[in-house]
Amino acid sequence: MRRRRPSLATAPIAVRLLAAALVIMLISLPLAGVGLAHHFRASATAAFDERLESLLNVVVARLTYDSSTQRLKHDAALGDPRFDQVFSGWYWQVSDGADIRLTSRSLWDQRLPIRAHDTVVTRDLLGPRGTALRIIERDIHLAPLDTPLHVSVAITREELNAALDDFTTRLSASLIGVGVLLLLTLALQVHWGLAPLRRLQADLNAVENGTREMLDTRLPAELARLAGAINGVLARDQRLMERARHAAGNLAHALKTPVSVLSTLAEGFDDPARRRVKAEVARIDEAVRHHLARASAAGATGLNRRVAVAGTLAPVLDGLGRLAARRSITLDSDLPEGLCMHLDPQDLQELVGNLLENALHWARSRVLVSGGSDPYGTWLTIEDDGPGMSTDERRQSLSRGARLDELQPGSGLGLAIVNELVSLYGGRLRLEASPRGGLAAHVWLPDHVPTKA
Amino acid sequence: MKVLLVEDDAALAEALGEALTDAGVLVEQAATGGEADFLVRTERYDAVILDLGLPDGDGSRWLAEWREDAIELPVLVLTARTRWSDKAAGFSAGADDYVTKPFETAEVLFRLHALVRRSHGHAHPLLRIGELAFDTHTGSVTLAGRPVSLTAQESRLLAYLAHAAPRVVSRSELAEHVYDRDHEPDSNVIDVQISRLRRKLGATCIETRRGRGYRLVDGDAAS
Repeated sequence: MRRRRPSLATAPIAVRLLAAALVIMLISLPLAGVGLAHHFRASATAAFDERLESLLNVVVARLTYDSSTQRLKHDAALGDPRFDQVFSGWYWQVSDGADIRLTSRSLWDQRLPIRAHDTVVTRDLLGPRGTALRIIERDIHLAPLDTPLHVSVAITREELNAALDDFTTRLSASLIGVGVLLLLTLALQVHWGLAPLRRLQADLNAVENGTREMLDTRLPAELARLAGAINGVLARDQRLMERARHAAGNLAHALKTPVSVLSTLAEGFDDPARRRVKAEVARIDEAVRHHLARASAAGATGLNRRVAVAGTLAPVLDGLGRLAARRSITLDSDLPEGLCMHLDPQDLQELVGNLLENALHWARSRVLVSGGSDPYGTWLTIEDDGPGMSTDERRQSLSRGARLDELQPGSGLGLAIVNELVSLYGGRLRLEASPRGGLAAHVWLPDHVPTKA
Repeated sequence: MKVLLVEDDAALAEALGEALTDAGVLVEQAATGGEADFLVRTERYDAVILDLGLPDGDGSRWLAEWREDAIELPVLVLTARTRWSDKAAGFSAGADDYVTKPFETAEVLFRLHALVRRSHGHAHPLLRIGELAFDTHTGSVTLAGRPVSLTAQESRLLAYLAHAAPRVVSRSELAEHVYDRDHEPDSNVIDVQISRLRRKLGATCIETRRGRGYRLVDGDAAS
């Protein structure tokens, strides 16, 4: 058989739900992350720019032109010592584009590039020593100068970038954390949510094994309805099976009397007509028994409760015990209390009844029924102290159509039926020489009945 | 051997009746439980063959009634039942043995002979009275190892005496068990058949007890 490749169509519900959640998370969490990062970047940059603008305003406010010296003057410091540290990344510059220039000490011999603007403009640029700077600039008119002055303030982006990077890192970590947490809680949720389904399945197994008769309907509403429907199907199945068994039984019953008549009438014929008619009659009888056994066993396979062996066999052992006593045979049974088997009670009676009938037919003085269990199943043994069977006879007696003894009719007939019945239940019938001298028939049935007959 | 066959299926009753008659059994028939009940209480039989499925009630019900009324004659149950619980009910009601339909005449005869033999207290199928040996299954008779040929009527008479031996059997008992109730013989017929048996088996083997009846004895020991 070729193995099917695993696909989502056949994947467990838990896997499907988790996969779906994972897909949603893989799309939504990064989107949320990108959105959040974008907004944070915008607002952090705006705040940074505001700070730049206020610094610009301070620079502009403290700017004076000394007409006497014809020089620009900038009194007092801006309050941040970094404007005085060389190449600190904090710079300001006032320029008219020609000779007049005033810069922070930090700029040293470097100059910020100028771009003329009437309004306040902020942008990014690379400053001295390749430092990424955020620069704000505007042109102002300072009386009595004719040319506009270009004022710029620049601060290194280092701080801003660090804040942005830090935010991104924290955001990613939190989002991953949220994702994992969501998946975990979802897994728990799925486990909890699917628990009734598992209970239903366990119940169904129990019904199949025969430990339960019906499914428990104390389940969530949707599953309760399903369990109810399955119970309905089980009950209907049972009814149909009963009806089929009944019909098979009735048909067998109805055929038996005419078959007896034919068989008896054939006694009056001469050979070979007698032999041929009797052979055909035997075939009819065998077919009836065969199909009756099948109808009873096949339908019931897999849906049987465990039956107590001793209790179920009591009427058969009692009845055949009386019969045996009249034939001067002792019928003993050694069946442990609590020994159970997985099969229909009637089939158990049929099975043991046939074996006992056979044993009583051949026994000289004693027949023993014993039973027990092993880890995988239950066994029953029926032994007699009769003449026993040869290896060939044993093999033949288990196949349909075998008739060991034409003189003593009925002998060995039941063995083929028992063999079929046992194999329908997934068990084994073994015929061996009994230590008592006769035949020992061992029946073994598995505890777990295969689902398919 | 006189047997009551209780079977409601006319075809089976006729076929089995004929087959048993051919085997030397005297067969009387009843088609219902009620009829059988009447016959069992009024006539003498060596055994009853009882079908469990009767039109007027289950055979095991009638059987249970007979056993309750201490009618202890051997009963061989014929059953078409496939369920062992039903068969077991037959035993509980007091059946001595059973044959499942479809059966072979040989099986019915085998069980019947065994039942009758055991009801007379014989465990072994071969009955020996002195040099006379009677095989209850085949009905064959040997005298000192030599086979003796008997007519059906003679064979039935000897079989009854052999089963009953060494008890004395009255003429009326013989008449009841060996002859059809519709053809009850006058005493003369029994006398004639007894003397024929004596010719074939030796004069001393059947003893006549005046006023009481006949019994099989060890011919040599008696002489």
